[in-house]
Amino acid sequence: MKSVFFGENIVKSFGDGDKSRKVLDGVSLAVSEGEFVSIMGPSGSGKSTLMFALSGMDGVDSGRVHFEGRDISGMTENELADMRRTRMGFVFQQPTLLKNLNILDNIILPSMRDNRGHNGKIVARARMLMERTGIAGLEERGVTEVSGGQLQRVGICRALMSRPAVLFADEPTGSLNSQSAQEIMDIFAEISDEGTAVVLVTHDARVAAQTQRIMFMRDGKIVREMQFAEAASEGLEDRFQEVVATMREHCI
Amino acid sequence: MYFRLVRSDLVKNKVITLTTVFFVAAAAMLVSLAAILVVNLWGSIDALMTMAKTPHFMQMHTGDIDIGRLSAFARQNAMVDEFQVLEFVNIDGSHIVINGKSLVDNVQDNGFSVQSDKFDYLLALDGNTVRPSVGEVYVPICYMKDSTAQIGDRLVVFGQELVVAGFVRDSQMNSTLSSSKRFLVSPEDLGEIKSLGSTEYLIEFRLKDLSGLREFETAYISAGLEANGPTLTYPLFKTINAISDGMMIAVLLLVSALVVAIAFMCIRFTLLAKIEDDYREIGVMKAVGMRVSDIKKIYLAQYAAMALAGSALGYALSLGLRGLLLENIRLYMGESGNASLAPVLGIVGVAIVFLVLIAYVNGLLRKFSRISAADAIRFGTSQEKPNGKNRIWLSKNRLLETNIFLGVRDVLARKGLYGTILVVLVTAAFIIAVPQNLHNTISSKSFIRYMGIGDYDMRFDLQQGANMDENARAVVAAMAGDRDIARYVALTTKSFSVQTDAGLVANLNVELGDHGIFPVDYSQGRAPTEEGEIALSVINASELNVKVGDIITLVIDGRDTQLAVCGIYSDITNGGKTAKAVFDDNSASVMWSIVCAELTDKTLISGKVREYTERFAFAKVTGVDEFVAQTFGTSITSVGKAAYASLAVATVITALITVLFMKMLIAKDRYSIAVMKACGFRNSDIRLQYVSRSVLVVIAGVFMGTLLANTLGGMLAGKAMASFGGESFRFVVNPVLAYLLMPLLMAGTVLLATWVGTSGAGRTNLLQRIKE
Repeated sequence: MKSVFFGENIVKSFGDGDKSRKVLDGVSLAVSEGEFVSIMGPSGSGKSTLMFALSGMDGVDSGRVHFEGRDISGMTENELADMRRTRMGFVFQQPTLLKNLNILDNIILPSMRDNRGHNGKIVARARMLMERTGIAGLEERGVTEVSGGQLQRVGICRALMSRPAVLFADEPTGSLNSQSAQEIMDIFAEISDEGTAVVLVTHDARVAAQTQRIMFMRDGKIVREMQFAEAASEGLEDRFQEVVATMREHCI
Repeated sequence: MYFRLVRSDLVKNKVITLTTVFFVAAAAMLVSLAAILVVNLWGSIDALMTMAKTPHFMQMHTGDIDIGRLSAFARQNAMVDEFQVLEFVNIDGSHIVINGKSLVDNVQDNGFSVQSDKFDYLLALDGNTVRPSVGEVYVPICYMKDSTAQIGDRLVVFGQELVVAGFVRDSQMNSTLSSSKRFLVSPEDLGEIKSLGSTEYLIEFRLKDLSGLREFETAYISAGLEANGPTLTYPLFKTINAISDGMMIAVLLLVSALVVAIAFMCIRFTLLAKIEDDYREIGVMKAVGMRVSDIKKIYLAQYAAMALAGSALGYALSLGLRGLLLENIRLYMGESGNASLAPVLGIVGVAIVFLVLIAYVNGLLRKFSRISAADAIRFGTSQEKPNGKNRIWLSKNRLLETNIFLGVRDVLARKGLYGTILVVLVTAAFIIAVPQNLHNTISSKSFIRYMGIGDYDMRFDLQQGANMDENARAVVAAMAGDRDIARYVALTTKSFSVQTDAGLVANLNVELGDHGIFPVDYSQGRAPTEEGEIALSVINASELNVKVGDIITLVIDGRDTQLAVCGIYSDITNGGKTAKAVFDDNSASVMWSIVCAELTDKTLISGKVREYTERFAFAKVTGVDEFVAQTFGTSITSVGKAAYASLAVATVITALITVLFMKMLIAKDRYSIAVMKACGFRNSDIRLQYVSRSVLVVIAGVFMGTLLANTLGGMLAGKAMASFGGESFRFVVNPVLAYLLMPLLMAGTVLLATWVGTSGAGRTNLLQRIKE
């Protein structure tokens, strides 16, 4: 399958001089079209930092990141912003929505940046995504008037508005109950089936077990990879046990 | 511990600390300056009038005079402390040549006097009563100010040469608003000059008790003593001395009040933003059991430290700057008698600002008691009501570019927040517009109509003399035969007795003639058109306690004649005590006459003034522009200075507040900015959103400020002018300045400041902000 992006020998440190701490220490990885990947590791292992580096939200000290054939380290701020808006989608642990906008406006916000009199098409796509993620009818609600699970779906709808090549999700189920978390994972699986690569950062073994490939991180390095033939539909409990054991062995 | 907390916070938030200190300093400086100026102005006037022993009552008179009768009156009247008659030898300006340049274009009635023996002294700049030697002349201070004369210059009057030995302050004629100026010479020189000019007598009294002035005035009139010239009193001298600098102080007071308001607004904004920033910490402090009063103390101590630094700096600046603003007062009136009191009052003013500020901060900190410790720890921010219900939806926007829409929408969604900056901008626009409008108004030609002068181009002043009637007829005949004269009118002023509401008798100077040709501005009613009508100046109407429609009784040709008051107008000429009527009278003697003319072509004014000056040596011919420039020049300059200072202050304030506001807003919105950046909005998009907010707020601010300045500002200025007799005052707005240049300046400043303030808007640590 065609690669969407790859990173080579990525190094990233925080702090200066003696207080400098390497958060990413020579990480290399590649993700293909439609692949459903998770990055696992304990707190401070560099999972989120890696995701921000791959998406161009944060720079790297050394190494390369290629997205759809272009080296993003040479891109300008504007090119990076345009890339994020049109080719990438993001979902975070906390619903990152603007309080002053209603649900529909939050979803269409990035797409409206390039709007040239196509409100109708944009709104129609937003409504379609809302329907698909089970939040139809909430368009005019404020962000404090819906549940956490619903807010996370709003975030997913917004991320999918531009038909991205990759969807980055940082602990998307971290603040949800188990039922809501499962519903969100089902949506991600569907998206991946449709050809969008999904990169999920999590420390939850049960969530990671539902993806096709798991990268385990520790002290800024990918210490182990686990590949499954397909996304989990059956035998989830066995996979979960396997993930927990690997985690114990390599990450703690 | 408090000290450490306070110090580290002040150092950490340098921008907030410096801006707050700056505004407190600006407010303290202006309040202190206003206090210092007020004390000095009144102190200087008092000192000058005390040292000069200004007359309490002065009657000007031309022609025959019976000194014996006057002396007898003074002896017999128990209220009189001292009495004297001074001679004032009026010389036409064309015959006074200083350093080769004549005073022909000067609108003042220039004359020569000797130093008085008893009171009404002319004082040298060191405050001493100066007595010139033969061949010396001391020149009025205003001619030093306008560089007409310098010490050592040659002054030639009708060929007689004198040397300018110094300058004098004249407690009654110092101001350019007073129409006469006294040159001081030796008795020997005056004897030489006397025969060459017309002698006017200054009949002067000092009373034992100033409160009996009204009563004395009535006694003087009732005695039928010499009185064919203007009557002037002590309070009027005081007002005339105060008016020019008083206007500057009034503008300064207005600006001080507004800057104090802005300083408070700034503090409110920074404090609320700081509370928002520290929300979680405040929650933690409450949770661990600190009392609200203890938490308040930390913030109060910070603001007290900033306010103290600002107050001290402002006070120091005011002491440094006072010399500049006191220059005019010192020059015209000398040092204040209570100069040492001024800095003390300045401190009192600054202390009041400081205390009110601390009380205000304390009031704002009451918010702490409403903060829930649990919510503060859980959410880290105040749980403002989100505005998702707002009916202005992005999905329905077809009109505006998305970033502009988001900017505009944010302003409408967070009205409270933008309200603060709006108030600042409205105030700043007000500070700029009101003094500018005032300056423009008093500089405009139509302003003279509020001042009791008609809108004509040229006037001939004919003072009392042997052939005044004949002279006036000659001027009128010349006007009739001159094709360049579009319209003209002759007006004659006579004095009549009038009964006051208290049953006393007073003198009323009535200007007779056609008042419809060059009308003044009537605050109530209209010009007199029939014989039985009279219009009164505001001060006369107030003293006689009459309004339009009332009847007053004048003694005309020995008979009581009832006249209906048909109009009331503003007037600051002749002490503001004038009247206008159209009736014929051949009984009273003429005090003075004027002939006013309008030219067909305004460019001819100066040529015509020269032509008629040469032709009619007996008349003082003046172009009205020149008259206004020389009479109101000092006031116009003072207000002009204040207007430009206000413009500079308001522009700097606007720029600073906008930068501060934008920095605060960006700090407050860092999460939203991070969300938008993560979604792919460019830095320029974010900046455009903030610029859109500024544009909307600045449009509203400038619009409201301009509107307020022209309505409320006009009313305030009107009230101030009314105290000087100019009741019907209305702003003359320069549309290019008020509606184009000023808004452009404000908008430009705000946009530039927004650009600077939002320079780091996009540079945010996305990882950290998103995780917050």
